[in-house]
Amino acid sequence: MIEPHPLRVVLAKVGLDGHDRGIKIVARALRDAGMQVIYAGLWLTPEAVVRTVAEEDADWLGLSLLSGAHMTLVPRVLQLLREAGLEHVGVIVGGIIPENDIPKLLEMGVARVFGPGTPLPEIVSFLREHSGASHA
Amino acid sequence: MLKTLLERFHRRDRLALARLVSMVARGERVEEILAGVGEPASGAASAPRGPARVIAFTGSGGVGKSTLIGKLIEQVRAEGQSVAVLACDPQSPLSGGALLGDRFRMPVRPDDEGVFIRSLAAAGGHGALAEHLADLIRLLEAFGFDVVLIETVGAGQGDTEVRELVDVLVLLLQPETGDDLQWEKAGLLEVADVIALHKADLPGAERIEAQVRATLALGVSAGLSAAPPVTVLRISSRSGEGIKELWQILAARPLRRGRRTSGRDLFRLAQQMLAARFAVAEAAGQSELQQLLAAWQQGEIASTQAALALVNLLISAPFQQV
Repeated sequence: MIEPHPLRVVLAKVGLDGHDRGIKIVARALRDAGMQVIYAGLWLTPEAVVRTVAEEDADWLGLSLLSGAHMTLVPRVLQLLREAGLEHVGVIVGGIIPENDIPKLLEMGVARVFGPGTPLPEIVSFLREHSGASHA
Repeated sequence: MLKTLLERFHRRDRLALARLVSMVARGERVEEILAGVGEPASGAASAPRGPARVIAFTGSGGVGKSTLIGKLIEQVRAEGQSVAVLACDPQSPLSGGALLGDRFRMPVRPDDEGVFIRSLAAAGGHGALAEHLADLIRLLEAFGFDVVLIETVGAGQGDTEVRELVDVLVLLLQPETGDDLQWEKAGLLEVADVIALHKADLPGAERIEAQVRATLALGVSAGLSAAPPVTVLRISSRSGEGIKELWQILAARPLRRGRRTSGRDLFRLAQQMLAARFAVAEAAGQSELQQLLAAWQQGEIASTQAALALVNLLISAPFQQV
């Protein structure tokens, strides 16, 4: 009965990391794929990111980390999402993530890790395939 | 499910508010939601509140609307009032996608429950407003926000529709935005209540102030202007110049909304109610509606005749939610 609506995706950089080239390219690709991208910015705390996800009623959260602090910050974000009642929001991670850490992040609840060189259509189709039927 | 959401809304659950904002912005079950938030459930601790002060900001892209709103949030919070922000950005006419990048410039303490910021995609071709903006304002007002700040897409010259929805319309201009002929053109300068000359720390601010004041004075001195007096001031989000004064001016303006003067307001409400009824009947596959649509699609009835029949059908049926 409800028409499919565009996916809402919050993209954010947490922690002390100013490298925002990659996340902006992802933002553009998702926009061009018909999604509503909320660019939350950089140097954010996990608390600020989770607040944004809550206020924006997002379907997905994309975190970009090139600082090496992913094993500290990503679990913190996941924990805060659960505490806020936002466990339905899917989390994807991009940036510089060593191979060995990827299984650990997936086990914590990250849906997918996209490293450098990922073709943009791969991210788009991943989000589409793993979203509920109510989304376009 | 809507019932649960509304109960949570009345318990001041911000996730429920966020979800209801999404639904209203998409035009889903708007009539029911507005009816539901209007009447608090029994036992809910909600004292009657005055109307929210609704202020819209317009001006061309890059003039500093988001940054200024970020500064004003600080002012509003310093006075202990709560504030909601609706930040509109354009939606692609090609893909339907949008990059919503306003809240990035509105830093807020993560645990401050007195602020709620929401980004909205505004479809092209409908002015600079996200659809259902009037309904969204009512929703935020019902949640209890004292102040609602609206950032338009910034269509620039044609963005006058928003005036009727808000209490105060602020037009932002900046130095080096054209010569004085720009200000003679009909439109924004006529409908603004407050004109803020932003980036006043840059060279050229005095000149633009003089031009705008001269243009406005011409209308007044010649007895031409039908519009109420406009406040003009120079501000700078970078240096902080004029920000506090701007908020004092905005807080002191009389509330325009809620005065039942314009027949157009009532007409707009009627339009919305018809649209909601149509959406429900269509989704439910109501048989009379389907028969009418089929007859029209096959060319058995003229379009105007079918449209009249549609209106009659929609208003005769009791409003029922599926």
